[in-house]
Amino acid sequence: MGKQRLLLAMIFGLAIAAIVLISATPTRLGLDLRGGTQLTLQVETTEKIPTLTETDLEAVQRVISDRVNELGVSETSVQILGQNQLLVQLPGVSDPEQAQRVLGETAQLEFRSQRPETNQQFQIENQILQQHQLELLTLQQAAETGNQSLLNATTADPDNTPVPAELEQQIQSVQTAIRESNRAIRELFAPAALTGERLTDAYAQPRQGGNQWEVVLDFDAAGGNQFAELSRNVAGTGRSLGIFLDNRLISAPTVDVRYAETGITGGAVISGNFDAEGASDLAIQLRGGALPLPVAVVETRTVGPTLGQDSIRRSLYAAIVGLVLVLIFMAVYYRLPGVLADIALVVYALLTFAAFNAFGVTLTLPGIAGFILSIGMAVDANVLIFERTREELRSGKTLYRSVESGFYRAFSSILDSNVTTLIACAALFWFGAGLVKGFALTLAIGVVISLFTAVTCSRTLLFVSLGLPQFRKPELFCPGLSTTAPSNS
Amino acid sequence: MKLDIIRQRPFWWLISSLFIVASLIGMVISWQQLGAPLRPGLDFAGGTRIQIVRDCTQADCTAPIDSADVRALLAQQGLETGVIQVAGDDGQSVSIRTRNLDVDEESTLRSALATTFGPLDNQSTQIDSVGPVIGQQLFASGLIALIVAFAGIVIYLSVRFQLDYALLAIVALLHDVVITMGLFAWLGLLLQVEVNSLFIVALLTIVGFSVNDTVVIYDRIRENIKLHPERHINDLVDDGVNQTLTRSINTSLTTILLLVAIVLFGGETLKFFALALITGFLAGAYSSIFVASTLLAWWRVQSGQAIAGLPEAGQPVEETP
Repeated sequence: MGKQRLLLAMIFGLAIAAIVLISATPTRLGLDLRGGTQLTLQVETTEKIPTLTETDLEAVQRVISDRVNELGVSETSVQILGQNQLLVQLPGVSDPEQAQRVLGETAQLEFRSQRPETNQQFQIENQILQQHQLELLTLQQAAETGNQSLLNATTADPDNTPVPAELEQQIQSVQTAIRESNRAIRELFAPAALTGERLTDAYAQPRQGGNQWEVVLDFDAAGGNQFAELSRNVAGTGRSLGIFLDNRLISAPTVDVRYAETGITGGAVISGNFDAEGASDLAIQLRGGALPLPVAVVETRTVGPTLGQDSIRRSLYAAIVGLVLVLIFMAVYYRLPGVLADIALVVYALLTFAAFNAFGVTLTLPGIAGFILSIGMAVDANVLIFERTREELRSGKTLYRSVESGFYRAFSSILDSNVTTLIACAALFWFGAGLVKGFALTLAIGVVISLFTAVTCSRTLLFVSLGLPQFRKPELFCPGLSTTAPSNS
Repeated sequence: MKLDIIRQRPFWWLISSLFIVASLIGMVISWQQLGAPLRPGLDFAGGTRIQIVRDCTQADCTAPIDSADVRALLAQQGLETGVIQVAGDDGQSVSIRTRNLDVDEESTLRSALATTFGPLDNQSTQIDSVGPVIGQQLFASGLIALIVAFAGIVIYLSVRFQLDYALLAIVALLHDVVITMGLFAWLGLLLQVEVNSLFIVALLTIVGFSVNDTVVIYDRIRENIKLHPERHINDLVDDGVNQTLTRSINTSLTTILLLVAIVLFGGETLKFFALALITGFLAGAYSSIFVASTLLAWWRVQSGQAIAGLPEAGQPVEETP
């Protein structure tokens, strides 16, 4: 009996730990529940790159991540999906139009020379842009920390304390201003003379005699000539050579007068004001931008936040009503063991939910359905055991032995049936897409945990209660059992 | 209650056959009318679905949205073939399904909707846009998952039981899958119900659950054969089914209780999912009790293994005193 008591203590310890875990960690909700936009991007091959490698995909992922960050949405994620797709998640975005536009464009690196007589204008526009960017940064920080003092320091009106919605509007207007300003700067440059297609490599290296870094660009033969031409044209004029990534100016170096004769040959070096990280970031961007891989938006799914909350509420009702119905059924039909199985079932629900949080499972609508269904699986194991116990009781065995052989005999059925369900889950998980995976994962976690709760947990509870004389009555296990049947008490 | 299932076998098989034939007819008609055995939803056929809700704090919500107005608006956009469904409380919500729209077409349509019916509640908007590539991909991955699950189950059951148990269990599974598909073929024909990737999930769950039922019964039959190798398979199957009958019914009942809760409270998306599961589980419980078991008995008799205890030819006969 000592062992059973110990197990009982362990089970309740686990249940309490589960409750603590559930209340301490937030449940990760899928976009279909919290609202937001999910886009699937297909990376397409070109004649030059007929097959995609992992590196290609990662390079595209980097470019896309940068663009997603530009959108100013928090908690975004960009994942590689299979061989040629990217999954972009934008929580809280209920208007996917901007995202679709920005993400669907091909990453494009361009070298353009600045138009003559625009130096002053360029400086002004650049200052405006920098100001906007600073503003945006402050606004985003304010939005994140909720700290209004930062904001007040930079806005003209100190009494202006915007609520989050206003803040969001401000962020949007600043973002629009930044786009405008980028466009204005673009106007100051001549059309592209050289594009990233000609770039063969870009890497960061430390600058000689100093702790600054620079970015080295290598072109193919034709690109080298074009670059020499381009740099010769602006050399010594004070005009800059604009390097544009996705139509945004990322660097505008000027070319020294000594290149006025020949232009820069044998590749280019961008020596801006870089530290090691900045230089390597730019090199990555250039390499990524240089990859002429078109990206197409092949799937978008947007769920408004209100709809998501509605789904959560409905599935919560469904889970609770379903669980209560099952609890009542078990207690009425199976009496004492049914009540004990109900306790095991509640422990099951707690442990499974805690496991979702512990493993960081993202809960989606089909995932919740999987969880509700796994309750059915957990009950099935107990039904099998109790039916077997009743059979043994009817055949005249003692209560204790009946319970024992009920568990023993039913186990092979329970194992087989759970393994076959796990096989179906595994097939769904490996081959299924997005939502389907969530369902398979929650159902599988549920099945595994139900093996523990329905067998170990309810077994312990039963044997502990068999140790108490008031529970040692066969009629509590099997109503209508003939009174001549021998009992253990 | 004791079921005499072996003797009543023709009756049980007849019922199953009728359901399967009806299902196949549904799928064939559907194939002729729609080009697919089931009405493919957005996930498989591709397209764009936009669901908008009027913001009643600002908009005039005295009258429900008129689908004729929506139709006219779609016609202006060159989207006459779109499917319109007015829904929600007091018809203040409308769902429009069209061919796959690109960003520009989509935003034009949305702003047109906003000007005509708005202002709209952006928090309740739902937009799904699935390209043809993804549609095929979702379908193919679902089909592969189904096939792999079948193969995995056959292998596991062949190892744990014997090959004939495994194959007959698969026959019972196909029975359940076909009947569920048949119901949705008819629903698609009569009520325009579409199937999406959740339907594939439902089919796989049905496979997982109904193989459960079959395994439990087979497990019992196998145990009976071990205990009484001298008895005829027909009697052993009869016993096995009856011994597990309460369990089969109770388990199906509890699961269906959960599913009914989903149908009642679970919201639009999960309703047909739960309906598919209910159908499949009922068919699964039926096929386990009446089809899988009787098929096993029939096959064992046909292949001359009616009595497991009979010594096989060529083996020395044990001496009996």
